[in-house]
Amino acid sequence: MLLIQQVVNGLMLGSVYVTVAVAFTLTIGILNFLNFTIPTLFMLAAMMGWSFAAWGLPFGLTEPLAWPLALALGVAVAIAASLVVERFTFRYLRTKHGDSTEHAIPLVSSLGFLLVLENLVRIGYGSDAQRFPGPSADLTLSVGGLFFRIPQVISLVVVALIVLGLAWMMKSSRIGRGLRAIAENPDAAGILGVDTRRVVPVVFMLTGLLCGLAGSLFAVNYGEVSPQMGEDIGSKAIAGMVLGGLGSLWGAVAGGIVIGLIEMLTIHFFGADTVQATVWGALLLTLMIRPQGLFGHNAIGKGKL
Amino acid sequence: MSGYWTGIVTILAINVVFAYGIYLAVATGQLNLGGAGFQALGAYAAAWLCFELDWSPAWTIAAGTVVAGVIGMGIAIPILRLKGVYLVLGTFAFAEVVAGLILNSETLGGAMGLPVPAYIEWQVPVAAAVACALLVFYLMATRFGLAVRSVHDDDVVADLMGVNVRGVRVAAFALGAALAGLSGGLYAHAFSYVEIQGFNASLSIYVLLYVLLGGAQTAWGPLVGAAFFTLLPEAMRSFLPAAKEAIWTAFGVTGDISPPDESWRFVVLGAAVIAMMVFRPEGLVTRDTFAFPRRRSPAAAPTREAAE
Amino acid sequence: MTALLKVEGLSKSFGGVQVITDVSFEAEEGARLALIGPNGAGKTTLFNLLTGVFPQDEGTVTLAGQVIDGAPSRRRIGMGMARSFQNIRLMPHLSVVENVMLGQQHRRSGLGAMLSPLTLFGRSESWREAEALIADMGLEAWMGETVSTLPYGIRKQIELVRALAAKPRLLLLDEPAAGLNGTETAQLRDFLARISGTGITLLVVEHDMSLVRSLCDRCVVLNFGRKIYDGSTAQVHEDPLVLEAYLGARHSGETADVA
Repeated sequence: MLLIQQVVNGLMLGSVYVTVAVAFTLTIGILNFLNFTIPTLFMLAAMMGWSFAAWGLPFGLTEPLAWPLALALGVAVAIAASLVVERFTFRYLRTKHGDSTEHAIPLVSSLGFLLVLENLVRIGYGSDAQRFPGPSADLTLSVGGLFFRIPQVISLVVVALIVLGLAWMMKSSRIGRGLRAIAENPDAAGILGVDTRRVVPVVFMLTGLLCGLAGSLFAVNYGEVSPQMGEDIGSKAIAGMVLGGLGSLWGAVAGGIVIGLIEMLTIHFFGADTVQATVWGALLLTLMIRPQGLFGHNAIGKGKL
Repeated sequence: MSGYWTGIVTILAINVVFAYGIYLAVATGQLNLGGAGFQALGAYAAAWLCFELDWSPAWTIAAGTVVAGVIGMGIAIPILRLKGVYLVLGTFAFAEVVAGLILNSETLGGAMGLPVPAYIEWQVPVAAAVACALLVFYLMATRFGLAVRSVHDDDVVADLMGVNVRGVRVAAFALGAALAGLSGGLYAHAFSYVEIQGFNASLSIYVLLYVLLGGAQTAWGPLVGAAFFTLLPEAMRSFLPAAKEAIWTAFGVTGDISPPDESWRFVVLGAAVIAMMVFRPEGLVTRDTFAFPRRRSPAAAPTREAAE
Repeated sequence: MTALLKVEGLSKSFGGVQVITDVSFEAEEGARLALIGPNGAGKTTLFNLLTGVFPQDEGTVTLAGQVIDGAPSRRRIGMGMARSFQNIRLMPHLSVVENVMLGQQHRRSGLGAMLSPLTLFGRSESWREAEALIADMGLEAWMGETVSTLPYGIRKQIELVRALAAKPRLLLLDEPAAGLNGTETAQLRDFLARISGTGITLLVVEHDMSLVRSLCDRCVVLNFGRKIYDGSTAQVHEDPLVLEAYLGARHSGETADVA
């Protein structure tokens, strides 16, 4: 029973990873860009949500209404930050000779943003973890001896809706078709009438939105935020994305859940200290044996970097 | 020298050695985001040999270099089949696995770390940094260096020109891993303690940024990048508190203002990275920085003007 | 005369699309052979198969009596086959001399050669050899420049010099005159004739038919990956199949080079 409970917990944890992994996989799949600001945006949304709530923003609202609105503002900050990142990574990308390290410019810029944003938050709020004043995470639901925490169940539903919505958007909407055209061939997309300058920011808005939601859900579920909270989640989400296959939406979903399960089961059987080695070991093995992951497309991410 | 300056010179020398290790991989066009893993291998090999077997620093540091180099070569052969994002992730994952394994190893002290009884003076890292710089400058001036730079520019054509692309990549990566290991060994003895938490993803990121900011085109890059970002925070040590005080005062905050902490140096590093990528993505030092006069035959110069 | 290059029944498909179908031809030692055809006929793919960038599906390539099918691409330059590229592919960050020295790579790939300096203590033998070759081609004015800063026509010539530095027996040239003006094309013609005079066999992909006519006495025409003509350059425009290939192409907006 304890084991089944761990599996349930693993699924719950996995759903947070899924959201962040989807953000990673979108940017890689469409723009061939490993965006290292993603974990920072996740942290930024949660920290800003916390600080808005702590300042009593939005003004004058009482407890049950205050924190969801504060979190919504946090998400808005994450989206805004993501658009700033877009300005400095993709807008200014001018490859001159097409050699290997010049293609890494957006990646390197995103590492720069990771340092700036995380440390600014640290300067503003200190390095300590803060208690998030949301709903008590202890509201539990007991079904057949298994415990489900209600906020987590809600999170799971929200994540499922996000993923389904995104899948629909990519497949059926005009923007989705534009994005897929860019993923296929950026030059040809321009010729076909896709306005790259308007469509690319959409990827970054989605990235900010996904990370913001994931950060908010994390804050609500675990009741704690800190400037470091993105690092661990980001690593696990990257692992999930690679496992599922770079650029694959459903791969990121499956990969995120699998990583959540591996983590919980590793803790159950071997203890918390071994998680790092097993998760990353699984990732390294995937890269060596089957780099395209479970559902990935062979061509994505191979471009020179 | 005062204790303050010996500390700075030591860490600067170690960073230079470390940056040269990552540089060798980057010069072939491979972003190695697993630097901390290789440095940890060198540091722990040296620390363990010193702590358990009582080897002298000369031997432990040499052993750390070899261990990192051999493991680097072992991992390079499968990992360098990966390209682009996959390679970045592969090196990153490798460093995490190394850290994860050391964390769980009782022999290596786990989360507690290992003390390193033998201490080295600042002259040793400095000598090592000078030797590394000379070695890399020499290598980049050889035909091997030519091959390295060709592989960086266009691996398909390099291959058609007869360059053993895979061989060059593996050699550069493994030699770089050895240098990263050397920097780890130096670190262990210079700071008398190793702790796996110090060899984290951030460290891998910093050292890669040193190299890319300095510029990967010439062997000056890592030297300039590491020096700039080791010395810059020191230079700002007096400037930043004054700046903070001025800003706080401007906002009407009075009284005791605590000096800014470590975080500022990373904000500055990150902002510099972003600005560099916008304005000068090739790095601070490029090949055009040095117009080697000896390469242009003086007699030919007028002809060129005429041709234009 | 013996055949230096012998191509027999070469075929290649990419993802179900047949790009080269059963192509056979020979080039004698010292010949100047043109390879022409409408855009997309498979000329560059043929070069890529010959130099081993991709393996062929079927067929055999023999160079100087030696079957080279299994040889890795990087060994082929050492067997006497050097090439230029349709879009110039010099190493942008290397200087002219360094690019040319790269052409010597297959002759200097031992460990000792790899680890001896090229310029540290005065100019090495490799360096002097490259300089001499560049000077010989009249390009000494550009010797130390970084390639990416040079004009197009000069880069085009340097790519040829790099291929020559390999001391090849067979030179594969992919559209050497593309982007050159009339004067430059005339210079290129003389240059290639001079190279050919030293005994190097030329296989030239080219759209400029006046250059092809004045340089090559024989040509092979490809269309949709098949050989449709192999014979005298003088008579190529009388061949019905060739005319059809080009006229058909003209209707879809291509330029007819044969006319």
